[in-house]
Amino acid sequence: MNTKSVINYTLESCVRCMKCIKACPTSALSMKDNRIIVNTKECVNCGRCVRECHNKGLLAHGSTLADLDNYEYTVCLVPSALISHCKNLDEAGDLFHAIKLLGFDEVIDVTDIDAQLLEEANILASESNTTLIASFCPVVNHIISKKHEMLMDSIIQLDYSSEIAARMIKRKYADKNVGVFNLCECEAKIELAKYPSGNDNYDCDHALALADIFPLIRKNMHLGKEKVSFSKRGLQSCNPMRIVHKDNTLIADGFDKVSSVIDMSEYGLLNEFKLMYLYPCFNGCIGGHMLWGNSFSIQNNIDELGKEYKAPSNYEFEDLFSNKYDESTTDTRSFKERINEFNEINAILDKLPGYDCSACGMQTCRLMAEAIVNKEKDLKDCQILSVLEGGKS
Amino acid sequence: MSVILHKEFEVIKDDYIGAGRASSEIKSILGSVGIPPKIMRNVAVASYEAEINMVIHATGGIITLDVTDDGVIKLVFHDNGPGIPDIKKALTPGFSTANEKARSLGFGAGMGLPNIRRVTDEFDIQSSEDGTIINLTFYVNE
Repeated sequence: MNTKSVINYTLESCVRCMKCIKACPTSALSMKDNRIIVNTKECVNCGRCVRECHNKGLLAHGSTLADLDNYEYTVCLVPSALISHCKNLDEAGDLFHAIKLLGFDEVIDVTDIDAQLLEEANILASESNTTLIASFCPVVNHIISKKHEMLMDSIIQLDYSSEIAARMIKRKYADKNVGVFNLCECEAKIELAKYPSGNDNYDCDHALALADIFPLIRKNMHLGKEKVSFSKRGLQSCNPMRIVHKDNTLIADGFDKVSSVIDMSEYGLLNEFKLMYLYPCFNGCIGGHMLWGNSFSIQNNIDELGKEYKAPSNYEFEDLFSNKYDESTTDTRSFKERINEFNEINAILDKLPGYDCSACGMQTCRLMAEAIVNKEKDLKDCQILSVLEGGKS
Repeated sequence: MSVILHKEFEVIKDDYIGAGRASSEIKSILGSVGIPPKIMRNVAVASYEAEINMVIHATGGIITLDVTDDGVIKLVFHDNGPGIPDIKKALTPGFSTANEKARSLGFGAGMGLPNIRRVTDEFDIQSSEDGTIINLTFYVNE
């Protein structure tokens, strides 16, 4: 299954600076007829373009609270990363109450599910002969299926915690028209719901972007308190180092480090590890783009929030797996045809200046050459060549 | 059988930072022409190990990639010396002559050549004082 991109483009805000095109790690962006085109086949929803754009031309929006009216009973899922931003249980209770006041019937946390997923990955890895990759980030799963097919077999196909929670809630309230809203701390997680991005096979109904909703939550703060408690194990899911076997586990955070880990494992250089946790955001999900905390204070918060003992909940094993991961995309063309195309691209690439300036609207000269071969662009579209030729005449 | 893709890469001696660049390019070329992932993985492992060998043991050299229309990938690693005195020994897992600098950077575990031989369909090595030539062959359609 291939998910749709959550990145939205606003033409009026775009100043055509090409920063987003250059920043995209999967070359999913290009410019055509003076507007940015997001290639949904390549986009992994990492949100790098959103941060790069200073004019809010590219944004990832969640659903709005107006969608609450469509359901009889509404549940909001609060990500573990947001909970770990609360200094103590009082503050967490305040936060839960403020979210509830937005119009939800129930506000629940997914910390226990997160922790159980980490443990499950641990068990699977200890039974495996090869290195496994556990990522609870859709970005990593997309990158591997789109760019690093040879690692596809290494991915542990555990489901996302919000999905497991959504299924549980739907089973619990089977007699009601229940709507599950997932509060998202980053762009990538917005895709993990039916709306607004239109990924119908997810069990969550709506994704709410924390960036959109947080001002509203803030207004409701200090109006009351919910009674909340978390298990220590659940809270520690924010820091996998506290849950996993330390000896043969590799944890990488940050997009660049994750990319190099993926590259190195393709060369078979990381075979001494049994399990790799990959987090494209710094400090894992607590470094989500819509959050503000840092790992120093969060370690403190986790200890403080877990002071009151609460037994962790455990869930059924088969419920933890997913069939929603991307499949590798098969190209129907033969190997020979593709090599011919490759040689054609190279021939055109030799004519291009090789500055990778993106002025033509493509990220690199190679992609420009590809677009020329596919008749999407013309050699005349190269700005540098036209300047050089203009100088000659 | 004719060669439909030909590329050459230069490898520089003691360039530990740039080491792996050629393999990375080989990987991306073969990835873009749709080689099955399993074979890709073998090519990636072999080319990386062989390239690193050229950086730490030899005085640099040339890597040649040839793909023929009947689905044979040939990789030739040609360096300019000093050669491997005892090839049989070099093919023993764990045997290494890497210097301190290479070891301190995490190279030289003595698994290079054995690993290369393990993942290739055909493996041929010739060595003299003037240099070493490693010929690797992978079959795409098997």
